[in-house]
This record gives sequence, structure tokens and C-alpha cells, in this order.
Amino acid sequence: MAGVAAIKTIFVQGPVPGLRLLLVIVLSAVLIVADARFDKLTSVRSVIGTGLAPVHWFGNAPYELQNWIEGLFTTRDDLLAENEDLNARLLILERRALKYAALASENNELRRLMNSSEVLDDRVIVGEIVGVSPDPFSHEVIINKGSRDGVTVGQAILDAHGLMGQVQQTSSFTSRVLLVSDSSHAVPVEVVRNGLRAILLGNGDINALELVHVPDTADIREGDLLVSSGLGGRFPKGYPVAEVENITKESGEPFVNIEATPKARLNQSRLVLVVFPPDGEEDEDGNEHGQDEPAVNVGIETDPDEVR
Amino acid sequence: MLSVISYPVFALSVVLSLVLSISLFPIGWFEFRPEWLGLMVFYWTFRAPAQFGILLAWCLGLSLDVLEATPLGVNGLAMALIAFLVLTIHQRLRMYPMPQQCLMVFLLLGINQMLVHFIKQMLGGEDAGFSYLWPALTSALVWPVVCVLLDNLNRKLG
Repeated sequence: MAGVAAIKTIFVQGPVPGLRLLLVIVLSAVLIVADARFDKLTSVRSVIGTGLAPVHWFGNAPYELQNWIEGLFTTRDDLLAENEDLNARLLILERRALKYAALASENNELRRLMNSSEVLDDRVIVGEIVGVSPDPFSHEVIINKGSRDGVTVGQAILDAHGLMGQVQQTSSFTSRVLLVSDSSHAVPVEVVRNGLRAILLGNGDINALELVHVPDTADIREGDLLVSSGLGGRFPKGYPVAEVENITKESGEPFVNIEATPKARLNQSRLVLVVFPPDGEEDEDGNEHGQDEPAVNVGIETDPDEVR
Repeated sequence: MLSVISYPVFALSVVLSLVLSISLFPIGWFEFRPEWLGLMVFYWTFRAPAQFGILLAWCLGLSLDVLEATPLGVNGLAMALIAFLVLTIHQRLRMYPMPQQCLMVFLLLGINQMLVHFIKQMLGGEDAGFSYLWPALTSALVWPVVCVLLDNLNRKLG
């Protein structure tokens, strides 16, 4: 004991570490409870997150550098070929868009005839993935659009192939996106072919999702496309989410085990689309508008013929 | 104890470790990623116990909390614990040969990871078995490199 005391007098920080540790433990406990149980610290988190934005930029710097160097060494011929390619694609897509516009107006006309509200087109902005969550057990990415660009919590994120996830947190310059494959994530979906509704859960595997509570007798096949159903009010309706990969029936179980592969390239895409709800239908304060009308729509929309 | 330490090196190493902990990484290798910030806290409290201590480690842990989106304070507490344990053993740690130091890194970062996962599970996270200890192991493996590199930088620039 005497020896320990002597050492403690030689080295400067004697009894202080214990005291500081105690202080820190108490502070941390308060913070954890306030954050996890009562959700009081979102603003603090957002402020620190904004302060840490340079970290995200640095993290993205190697990729930007690579892009820039690639840009330096691309030949004129390559650029011309790429340009031609893109123009051709643009033409094809434009033709499809023209057709789509006609169909959309016709669809709206029909809906008006049926006395239901018109479907407005969603507005999107393009963002870029600048980081991933350091925690290997959660599937989250960070995109370079934040509250400064109007992004709010709960917005859906798409890539070119399908639904990727939803915004979970925003700071000024970045936001955090929870991917559909995270084990705490669920999307209400429907089968395109017949409008069968179900819930699609993530299970922590980036290449597989789980369709739950589908009865044994339900009409579902391998290869069926699942699109977001728009129920629950969080995700816009009609974006492709996953494709049914594999159905196993176990006798005696009331539900079948269905595995689906996400359509979005969750671990490859770099550019993403942030979907804004159409103006006048902000879902942040949905009680402004008559809530009865959408409920009626939902009933009509699940009619098999209209889903397409 | 190093005679001199360089504050720019400290700042740079901390920022770099934060960047490394969120940088894009092949998905299969994800769970083997070293706990960079934990290593930095270990190194700096080990080399300069008079300047870097529990409170600074706590602040760094809080920033990791924000980056990881864990409840604020979880990593803060775990980092502060590393700093505390290093402070209590740093006189002995200095005498250890490199393999034994690596073992201590594994133990301390293992305790850190264990605490983080314990709290996360209490708050409703999923149970991942013992695989959460991988970062502690990989951190112990990169420790000699990190230690020598930072020592050299400190000597040159401090």
C-alpha cells in the first residue's frame, strides 16, 4: 500500500483518473438514457454531425481523386464514344418518358372519372454516398445531402434499380440512410402480379430480404416482383423493392418462408435519388389534409388490375 | 514516455482514425476492421498520460457515436474506460515487449467492444455472438505498425 502511495505521488495524475472516470460514467449514463429512451438529443447530434462533416469529405477524397485522375487520362475517343452511348440511351428513355406522360395523364383522367384524387409525380434530387456506418452490424450509408438541401427524416432513397432505404438522421450537409437490408428495417410491399400485400423485412444480409406472414395458400411464385405499396405512409407507392428468390413451405407452419433479393444494388450504387413527396402532400404534418381520402385510395389501388 | 509529443500529429491521427472508421470498405471484411479510434486513444494515453486522459477520450468517443449513430455516450464511455485502464497500467505497459503489448491492446479493446455491445444489446440490438471481438484482434495485429509509425512521427516533428 505504501509503495502504491509513493508511486502515486511521483506521477502527476494520482486519484484524479478514478474521479474523472466516475464523472464520465455518470455523464454517459445520463446521455445514453436521454438519447435512447427519450430521444432528447437529436439537435446535439445534428450539431456534432455538422462539425464532423469534414471527416466525411476526407473519407470521400480518395474516390474523388481517383475520379479526377481518371478524368485526366481519358482519351477524346473514349469520351466521344461514351457521349454517343449516352445520347442513344437518352433517346430511348425519352421515348419511354413520352409514352409514360401520355399514360400518366390518361390514368389521372380515369381516376378523376372515378372520383379519386390524382397521382402526383414525385420530385427527386440526386445525392452521392460518401460513407458507410462503421458498425458492421447495421446497414447504413451516409449521403452528401442534408437538411440544407431540404432532406428530412423518413424520406425514401432510391437507386437506378429500386428502393434502397430511408433517411434516418440529418445534419446540415449529410444524412444517414438506413438500408432495406438492415435487421431493424421493414417495408410494406405488394406483389405486382396480383396486389398481394406483405411486409418485407431486412435480416442483416445485404443480398437477402425476408417476406413475412404470407399464408401457406397465398398466390406467390418465385420471380415475382415486389413493389412498395405505399401503406404506412412512409414510402411512395410503386417503386420496385425486391424479387422473390426462393419459397420454402414447411408442413405444419401457418406461414411460408420467402426469401427475396433486393432490386437496388445496396453495396454497389454510388449515386442515389432522394424522393420528396409531391407538393401539397407533405407527410410531415399529414393531419393538415383530410386523412379519409387517401384511405379510400388505398382500397382502390390494391385492386389487381390497377396496380400495373 | 516520449520526451516530446507533437500536437499536429495528434490532431491528424485522430482525424485520420475517424475517417478510416467510416471509409468505404469491402462488405465481407467489414467485421474485421480495426477499431482505429480505440487504437489512437490507447496510443496517446500510453505515450502522454499527462496530456491525454479520460475526458478527451470521452469526447472522441462521442464523435464516434455520432458517426456510428449509436446512442450518444456508448462509445464515449467505452473510450473513457480504455483511457482509464491505460492510465492505471501505463508504467508497467512501458516495460512490456511488443507481443505482450499487443496482448494488452487485444484485452483492452476487447473490453471496449464488449462494453459497447453489452449496452447496445440492453437497448435492443441484435446478438452477434462473439464476432464483435474481431476488431480487437485486428487492432492488436496492427498495433506494432501504428505504434512505430506514430513514435517516429513524434520524434521528427515534436
